[in-house]
Amino acid sequence: MERRRAVQLLGGALSAPLATSSEALAELLTFGARVRASVPADQAPSDLLTPTRARALEAMAEIVIPRTDTPGAEAAGVTEFVTALVDGWLDDAEREPFLAGLDDVDVQAVDRFGAVFAECSDEERSIMIAEFDDDLARRRSEGRASGHFFHDVKRFTLTAYFTSEAGLAALGHRIAVRRFEGCAPLSNPEGCP
Amino acid sequence: MNIRPKRDEYDVIVVGSGMSGGWAAKELCELGASVLVLEAGPMIVPERDYGEHLPPHEMTYRGWNDRKALAAEQPVQRDCYACDEVARKFFVNDIENPYTTDPDKPFSWIRGRQVGGRSIMWARQSYRLSDLDFEANLKDGNGVDWPLRYAELAPWYDHVEAFAGISGRAEGLPQLPDGVFLPPMEMSCVEAQVRDGIARAYGDDRRMTIGRTAVLTVDHEGRRACHYCGPCHRGCITRSYFSSINATLPAAEATGRLVLRPNSVVAEVLWDPRSSRVSGVRVVDAESHDELEFTGRTVFLAASALESTRLLLNSKSSDFPDGLANSSGVLGKYLMDHTMGVGAHASFDGYEDRVIRGRRPNGIYIARFANVTEPRSDFLRGYGYQGSASRAGWWRGESMTGFGADFKNELLSPGPWSFGIEGFGECLPREENHVRLDPEQVDKWGIPTLRISCAWGDNERAMMRQAAEDAAEMLEAGGGRDISIDYQLLPPGLTIHEMGTARMGRDPATSVLNAHNQAWDAPNLFVVDGACMTSSACQNPSLTYMALAARASHYAVDASRRGEL
Repeated sequence: MERRRAVQLLGGALSAPLATSSEALAELLTFGARVRASVPADQAPSDLLTPTRARALEAMAEIVIPRTDTPGAEAAGVTEFVTALVDGWLDDAEREPFLAGLDDVDVQAVDRFGAVFAECSDEERSIMIAEFDDDLARRRSEGRASGHFFHDVKRFTLTAYFTSEAGLAALGHRIAVRRFEGCAPLSNPEGCP
Repeated sequence: MNIRPKRDEYDVIVVGSGMSGGWAAKELCELGASVLVLEAGPMIVPERDYGEHLPPHEMTYRGWNDRKALAAEQPVQRDCYACDEVARKFFVNDIENPYTTDPDKPFSWIRGRQVGGRSIMWARQSYRLSDLDFEANLKDGNGVDWPLRYAELAPWYDHVEAFAGISGRAEGLPQLPDGVFLPPMEMSCVEAQVRDGIARAYGDDRRMTIGRTAVLTVDHEGRRACHYCGPCHRGCITRSYFSSINATLPAAEATGRLVLRPNSVVAEVLWDPRSSRVSGVRVVDAESHDELEFTGRTVFLAASALESTRLLLNSKSSDFPDGLANSSGVLGKYLMDHTMGVGAHASFDGYEDRVIRGRRPNGIYIARFANVTEPRSDFLRGYGYQGSASRAGWWRGESMTGFGADFKNELLSPGPWSFGIEGFGECLPREENHVRLDPEQVDKWGIPTLRISCAWGDNERAMMRQAAEDAAEMLEAGGGRDISIDYQLLPPGLTIHEMGTARMGRDPATSVLNAHNQAWDAPNLFVVDGACMTSSACQNPSLTYMALAARASHYAVDASRRGEL
């Protein structure tokens, strides 16, 4: 994140103190520098989430959270987050079924529609996602959602999207507010938590 | 701040720079003493080390934490909610700082080793104890009598609250005395509804109030009002919540009499048998492992309850073969924490057009009523509740069926209201809950470590069963539906209110410290952290540690001037 952006996010909430306090401004500038310093280096390509798997994942994520009047999961960078999870977060017992599931999506898509998932039509992709989601719903009703391939796709997608800059902007997220309100009108543009 | 000693002898050596050590440093420096604060961990520079505004997309795991690093380095600390992707650097490395427990007695020892200690990550809830608490041991025969009463501590609560800045609402409850409050934070719609429902159902017997928290609601003492960003445990660049880094250490530094030495692991308090006084401390430099000695006219221990006790147990001499200041034999005994993990939650209809704006670093508090307004025959003492109401966020989508544009738009709007409350129960002081030195294990610096033996007793379990039922009833009285009882009694330690093991008392034969946190066995040795606690009450204890540390500091300076130390 650029310093200008950090100051802008904070400045919305703290403009009153900022106007009178050079110390406050100094803090914000320091904050910007710190944020820049903490941004990780560009991610190396993953050996595990291969380009083929990443394409299948992105296409599935975009059906779950599509572009509307705001960006969808693909543009929000779902691959970046899932690459980090696959490379450094999931343990073997979680990673293997997830990657096998991504491979299987393409196998199924070729089998049924003659193309890998990412190259299927919107309608064909939606048919497959609906089936995955129905299967997940059955598993959930049995209290066994955890470990289901599409459960992982869904939760990874939601977190990737709603914690992205695009997702936070769509939520109306502000880093800070000038005054806390426990019962504000929903229509307030700064209202969403 | 100064990080190298300027001289060889100090008026006071303070071991620890957290909640209690920061207060001791401030008060002692302001009274004119030269003070050396020794901190086992590294320096913390807010501009470099705080991370509360880091947006989630700048974190590798988006707030899901570095699971593998936690498993490898912090298998104990990771059980604390605050040991997250940004703040885990404020928690100890469990491999470097090991401890052991007795079989079938898990104990979660959650620690911070850096300048500021756990005052960086604390949950900031700040409540006074009352004479209900100070008289409890005397009345029911558990433990020994506190050597002080509320009237003696009240001015010191005033003193620390006025500086720290506690927001809250005066309620006039004898069991939860009012303090010097900054304006209270707002309740949410659902919290206010439940407060009113409880008042209707229970009259004056039960009272829900907004949490009393050490977070500024207005500018105060040169620190700025909270801007409600939320994750306080990652630090606070505007110094809006109280910590030793944000408040007391800068005040001590401003006197010019503070010397702060980080990376200083105190291994032993030195005893001089000729004068029958402590003479200083032996330190292992955390980085070089060099041994150093510092001389002080007085030594204050504020290393946290169990670290201060460990230090005394490790300070053996021919006069004190079982640990310094342990002529009573009770050092290490009567360990306490508060019970947690028991309560209830419910859903609430209505207020669909209302939202919470900002992330309030605070919840609600329900003052203790068991054995106050409502006598119990099945257990002693009681519990308070904490919790908060909120609307579900986008994360509810993980357990919802659906996908596509409608699904996305639904998750961009806030979900239903829910409200959970959790009981914090008092723990009786029992001799068998104790710490001792492990016969074999040492830490990274070669210092013997603790063996902790602690378990909840029948009284705590009986109390928590009732706390769960009461929680559900109060949510029902407040209009909740789909009420569920939560009963996952957490292991001791995990409330992070571990206290006792060097208790205050009236009799040198049965206590380690007198009414001024002064060791019976060594007039120039004070223990001013949670180790001193004689009973646990059920309130969050940090405010009491602050008041006791400030009071002991003034006593020590006065006694020194009278030539008594």
